[in-house]
Amino acid sequence: MRKKLLFLSMALLAVALLSGCAGGPVRGTTWPGLAADDNAAYLADGPYVYAINLQDGKELWRYPADSDNDFVFYSTPVVTLDGLVIVGSSGTNHGLIALNPTDVNQNDNNTSSPAVAWTFNEAKDQWVAAPLVVDDKVFAVNSDGYLYVLNLQDGQSTKKAVKAIRIGGRLWAKPTTDGERVFLTSLDHSVIAVDMETYEVLWNDEIGGAVAGSAVLGTDGMLYVGSFASQLEKIDPANGKREPVLEAENWIWSTPSQDGDTLYFADLNGNLYSFNTSTGKLNWPAIKPDGPITASPLTQNGHILIATESGSIFAIDRDGNVLWSEEVGGKVYTTPVASGDLILVAPLETEFYLAALDQNGRQVWTFTPGN
Amino acid sequence: MWDLFVSVFVNVLIWIYDVIGQNFAIAIILFTILIRIVTWPLNAQQMKGAAAMQELQNDKEWQAIQKKYAKDREKLAQEQMRIYRERKISPFSSCLPTLIQFPIIIALYQSITRSLGSTPLDLLKLSRSLFPFLNVSDLIPLNSKFLWMDLGRPESIAIFGFAFPTLALIVAITTYVQAKLTMPASPNPNDQSAAMGKMMSIYMPLLLGYFALNFASGLSIYFITSNILGIVQYAMQGKANWRSLLPGGQKK
Repeated sequence: MRKKLLFLSMALLAVALLSGCAGGPVRGTTWPGLAADDNAAYLADGPYVYAINLQDGKELWRYPADSDNDFVFYSTPVVTLDGLVIVGSSGTNHGLIALNPTDVNQNDNNTSSPAVAWTFNEAKDQWVAAPLVVDDKVFAVNSDGYLYVLNLQDGQSTKKAVKAIRIGGRLWAKPTTDGERVFLTSLDHSVIAVDMETYEVLWNDEIGGAVAGSAVLGTDGMLYVGSFASQLEKIDPANGKREPVLEAENWIWSTPSQDGDTLYFADLNGNLYSFNTSTGKLNWPAIKPDGPITASPLTQNGHILIATESGSIFAIDRDGNVLWSEEVGGKVYTTPVASGDLILVAPLETEFYLAALDQNGRQVWTFTPGN
Repeated sequence: MWDLFVSVFVNVLIWIYDVIGQNFAIAIILFTILIRIVTWPLNAQQMKGAAAMQELQNDKEWQAIQKKYAKDREKLAQEQMRIYRERKISPFSSCLPTLIQFPIIIALYQSITRSLGSTPLDLLKLSRSLFPFLNVSDLIPLNSKFLWMDLGRPESIAIFGFAFPTLALIVAITTYVQAKLTMPASPNPNDQSAAMGKMMSIYMPLLLGYFALNFASGLSIYFITSNILGIVQYAMQGKANWRSLLPGGQKK
């Protein structure tokens, strides 16, 4: 009898531990996606996408109305010019969903949910990257290794891809464009250019490590990407010819941020670099705020805002001087977003899901969903 | 401490993956063989313990005290402990390797999901788990595809629109076969270890089948490899009880 009990206890413990590790529609599977327009912040955080009023930090709506095991959200939402919020699911449902915030209905549980304007269900894996919207086209990359091109004007509620282009590898970063080409990065150690009209793959350049961030088009007309090979690479968008321009201390996770001819980027050792694309040199020696950095630097009003895994936000001037720092709490991996005078920060491992700071780093409100 | 344990698993898995030409399923199979080798003394102890317990069930003194103290459970337990002590038998030694399996399964599951880094946070955790001297950053991300499977996700094959869980079924069958083969035949109807074995042969296939159905298919590769190795090991030692696979074979 004792053996039986011991066995069953161990089995139940194993089930509980494995279930705890298996993910599912719970918060904290990975870091949330965050976007904002003039009125609302959009937070993709586990089982729900939330819209939060920027005035008071109150919930405007959530999607779906009730938690659904098939949906997990953490890709960065995108707001289109006509106000739709596009976000992809990373759960067993691999839908890309466009929500209409102007058509919101009351739910039974005192929350509200927007109508679904359209869905796209052809992708076979999770959505991590935000889609790129250019005029009436959506360029959406999925972890299944495909670039899907959708037409926003076709009037379909269930969209079919205009074109599905096999790229390969897991595509986790939002595409970039120069107006003629779309540039993609892949965890499969490559940077790819696709013609926006013919959808032909123009070049596919292999680099030394996985790329989790987007490419950035510098003022010198060259593409810049950081990789897990700990290098910042400069790539000619015309032909894909590349050269490493800077060696970082550790993996470069995020997309570099551009401010004139300066690129700001960070590595997992917590270094912030200021790289001048004109001179090909650092403007000042790398500075180390207080922890590893996966978030992209946010440039605003001449300041660079950096979020660290230690849960802090640092405001740094263009000369590399720390203007202020504020401890938000938890761990911050998501790139902060600016809207009006607010700086929005979405930490993990905190009771609140979103914090709004003023331009001096003081907390204005925090958002914690009810129910 | 636990994280270090998982990190060791991660690095060994990735090292094997690198050496054998970047096939994660083969890396899991070789890693399983490695675990079987490392836990060999425990398995040997289990077999020895099971044999001793089996012998005890047919021992006259043991049977006599069962009869004598059938209505006095406390005294019966005391007498049983005395015999265990005198004959240096540990009643739990036969189930220790099974229990040892659970932390290994959990660590392996965590190391598979961490190695494959299917979410940004998993990939970030992987970056912290890599031992610098292995210098395997350029291998990241690992190739999670093997045949029709994504090793980081539960497996199924769509047949006529129905998701058929092939691996879960194979896991349940091989677990059942292994449990049945290693179960000693016992003529004694009051044989507690035989009753325990019978229970294990029902619950373990269901439990591991449930794991295979719901968790990363890389874990199923581990279960199947481990079961097949166990069957081969018993068969090579001439201890496999093949008749027990047949209906009523246990009684013969």
